[in-house]
Amino acid sequence: MSDRYVVSRGTKRSIIKALLSVLLTFAVTSVILLMSNVNPVLAFIYMFQGAFGDINLLSETLVRTSPIMVVSLGLAVSFKCKVWNIGAEGQLYIGAMLGTIVAIGIGGGLLSLLCALFVGAMGGLCWAAVPALMKVKLGINEVITTFLMNFVGIYLVQWMISYPFRSPDTYFPESAAVPASSALMIILPGTRLHLGVALALALVPIIYFLMERTTFGYKVNVVGENPEVARYGGIKVGKIVFASLIFSGVLAGLAGITEVMGIQYRVRGSLSPGYGYTGIVVALLGNNNPLGVALSSIFLAAIMNGSSTLAWAMNIPMGIVDLMQGLLFIFVLASEPFIRFLEGRGVLRL
Amino acid sequence: MDNRPSDPKKEDYAIFLKEITKTFPNGTVANFGITLGILKGEVHAILGENGAGKTTLLRMISGILKPDSGEIFIDGKSAKMRDPMDASRLGIGMVHQHFTLIPEFTVRENVALVLAESGWLDLKKVDAKIVEVSEKMGIEIDPEAKIENLPVGKRQLVEILRLLCRDVKILLLDEPTSVLTPIEVDSFFRIIRDLKSSGKTIVLVTHKMKEALKISDRVTVLRGGRVIRTVPTTEADEALLASLVVEGLAAPPVVKRGTPGDPILSIDSIIVKDDRGRTAVDGLSLVVRAGEIVGIAGVAGNGQKELVEAISGLRRVESGIITLSSQDITNKSTRFIIEKGLSYIPEDRMHRGVVLTMGIHDNLALKCIERPPMSKNWVIDRRSMINYAERLISDFSIKASDPCMSVENLSGGNIQKLIIARELSNGGTFLIAEQPTAGLDIKASEVVHQRLIDLRSRGAGILLVSSDLDEIIKLSDRICVMFGGKIVGEFFPENLDLERLSRAMLGAE
Ligand SMILES: Nc1ncnc2c1ncn2[C@@H]1O[C@H](COP(=O)(O)OP(=O)(O)OP(=O)(O)O)[C@@H](O)[C@H]1O
Ligand SMILES: [Mg+2]
Repeated sequence: MSDRYVVSRGTKRSIIKALLSVLLTFAVTSVILLMSNVNPVLAFIYMFQGAFGDINLLSETLVRTSPIMVVSLGLAVSFKCKVWNIGAEGQLYIGAMLGTIVAIGIGGGLLSLLCALFVGAMGGLCWAAVPALMKVKLGINEVITTFLMNFVGIYLVQWMISYPFRSPDTYFPESAAVPASSALMIILPGTRLHLGVALALALVPIIYFLMERTTFGYKVNVVGENPEVARYGGIKVGKIVFASLIFSGVLAGLAGITEVMGIQYRVRGSLSPGYGYTGIVVALLGNNNPLGVALSSIFLAAIMNGSSTLAWAMNIPMGIVDLMQGLLFIFVLASEPFIRFLEGRGVLRL
Repeated sequence: MDNRPSDPKKEDYAIFLKEITKTFPNGTVANFGITLGILKGEVHAILGENGAGKTTLLRMISGILKPDSGEIFIDGKSAKMRDPMDASRLGIGMVHQHFTLIPEFTVRENVALVLAESGWLDLKKVDAKIVEVSEKMGIEIDPEAKIENLPVGKRQLVEILRLLCRDVKILLLDEPTSVLTPIEVDSFFRIIRDLKSSGKTIVLVTHKMKEALKISDRVTVLRGGRVIRTVPTTEADEALLASLVVEGLAAPPVVKRGTPGDPILSIDSIIVKDDRGRTAVDGLSLVVRAGEIVGIAGVAGNGQKELVEAISGLRRVESGIITLSSQDITNKSTRFIIEKGLSYIPEDRMHRGVVLTMGIHDNLALKCIERPPMSKNWVIDRRSMINYAERLISDFSIKASDPCMSVENLSGGNIQKLIIARELSNGGTFLIAEQPTAGLDIKASEVVHQRLIDLRSRGAGILLVSSDLDEIIKLSDRICVMFGGKIVGEFFPENLDLERLSRAMLGAE
């Protein structure tokens, strides 16, 4: 029993993979910075300061972490099942939109908040249920359907905030603001740190428990590792695949509506700077392990926030965020064959 | 008698192992101080109980694993192999204990996979090679056939064919015969003899004494990772080998026939199609009673696989009815059928029987995870899972260093024991046993046979599907011969007319 809590070989491997990917990302970014005559050491110091420099910056990073973490925890569950939900972005927008409509419709108060959160989650669920049904019933690959549903979802929301749900008092296409009394409470006065961040953190042990200690988590694991064994063992594979996909939709929708109720207070076209896609990188970097995913979310949020300080201080474009995210994605994907190569050469012994 | 070879440089040895030791990261010492010489052009059999270290030894010779200490000489020269490619350059090829063919690929594609050295793929050349080698082997193989549609016997031949398509001088064969029928084994041995006469060196791992005696020139027995003895085959007999492989092997118990009661499984003229949509089970009817073992004999590929899958809910039944304990289970979910009492030891253990990357405890709980004490209200009780695993590990003598260790680190035979442990412990009233003792050593096989008999005595019905005719004759109360998707003959083990049985298996009855 005791040695279960020692870091297992698989875990050690994935930690090394993650660290390696991060290291390589910084290395390649450094080269690119050098080519643009920017001192990379200085740049990363600025970046770090921009993310964690003072209590305000730190709380901003945590605020940024929250939606990323919620999305990626959900994606981790579906990825564990080897179901590739690329559609969290669309699920997030739909969740945010429907939740906002409900919050405004009910008016202020706790009830309004709770209903909004619930409906937001359900919005994400429904948006994920479409590709989930197509996969289970018709055998259509979810990578394509979830990805395409993003565009349908995002444009649908844009249309809604341009016409039927457009706020009457602004020039830009955006929804009306949710009632102030239904917003998520600020938990650190003077900052934007809201209750949603705490909820996101609370999700980490919950998802861990779900995956490690419930029959659902067990079945997700078996289906993901070997669906043939699952079928043989009497597990209804289609049901588990469906459930894991809509579960990731629920969390994506929840991420969307918390972003509205905690930070933005209305739905805009710029509600999410691609959290749904960032979540994919985060889940992979964290090896679909809730703790790993939590740390990775903070890391990605830090890069996002730190980059704006960096961009301002050293006069380089904000595109550095996308650059680093892209590199990270590539290196995470490449790390498995790379590590195997190192093992084969005897450089690494795991 | 110490006949340990001493001079590694001698040119006679194709392989010479000197003081080879291998310890795995979890502390298992799989091989310890192994010194062994394999002569050029000989067929060298390696025997040993499950977990003795046979596979580990072969994997070191083929460059997959590296020894912790000791030296390997190939053709008299010290060989430091970093990966299987190095071994391949030295002319070493291995057929693994478990299939390494890609099931979704065709024969041609699987062969192309190992031939594509230059990065350039010439399918015509691959086809030519397949034809050339299969003619030399005297077998018929359709390069277009998908592996997953081939019976296991054929798959095994494809594994060897693939090896011979490369230019190998030393063949390492890890239990190549464990799922072959006697007829297939005979033709397989013909191929081995041809290879030998063309100068190739062959190392063959097996659990069957008879086979080792029949085909090999010398036999080495491993136990607990050490060489117990190497004997020339001419000086060995079955009793000697058995006594070397396991200590204290009890005489096999007398098998009493069962007293069949009411039908447990009834199959009424079912039709089942195979993956390619052809009728594989063709209006078959069969009854298995409580307290009865029914053996299905037949050449692989005559619908046995589809029959078993239809019963277990893994394949659609086109027409006909299957009832289990008087409940209709035709086209019901596997879950439902398991709840009605089905246990099933699958032949394809690596793909169907276990999740290799998960722990022993996870795999043992596969079919009871939803029930207390494993879980209550969806919450898993890990303590119970581990306790259960510990109990089965000791009950079934599974060689494992810890109940949570990942199944991929178990030896082949121990994985089989794990599956048997799970299926015999879930309280089923009807068991399908496909090749239940494939890959088990003699002692473990005896134990499993005894357990099957005990299960029958407790009133369960058993459908035994095996390529091992001896096993079928030994255990069955009734033998049904399957050919072309039908039961073409029924035999009883008393006063069995083997001649007629064999004819029936070939469809000539
Ligand atoms: N990768 C591994 N990590 C840890 N232990 C291992 C690993 N591979 C094998 N072992 C252990 O080493 C021992 C020898 O295994 P090996 O596979 O060589 O046995 P074997 O003689 O081939 O047995 P079988 O007849 O069952 O195939 C076993 O106890 C096994 O559990
Ligand atoms: Mg083995």
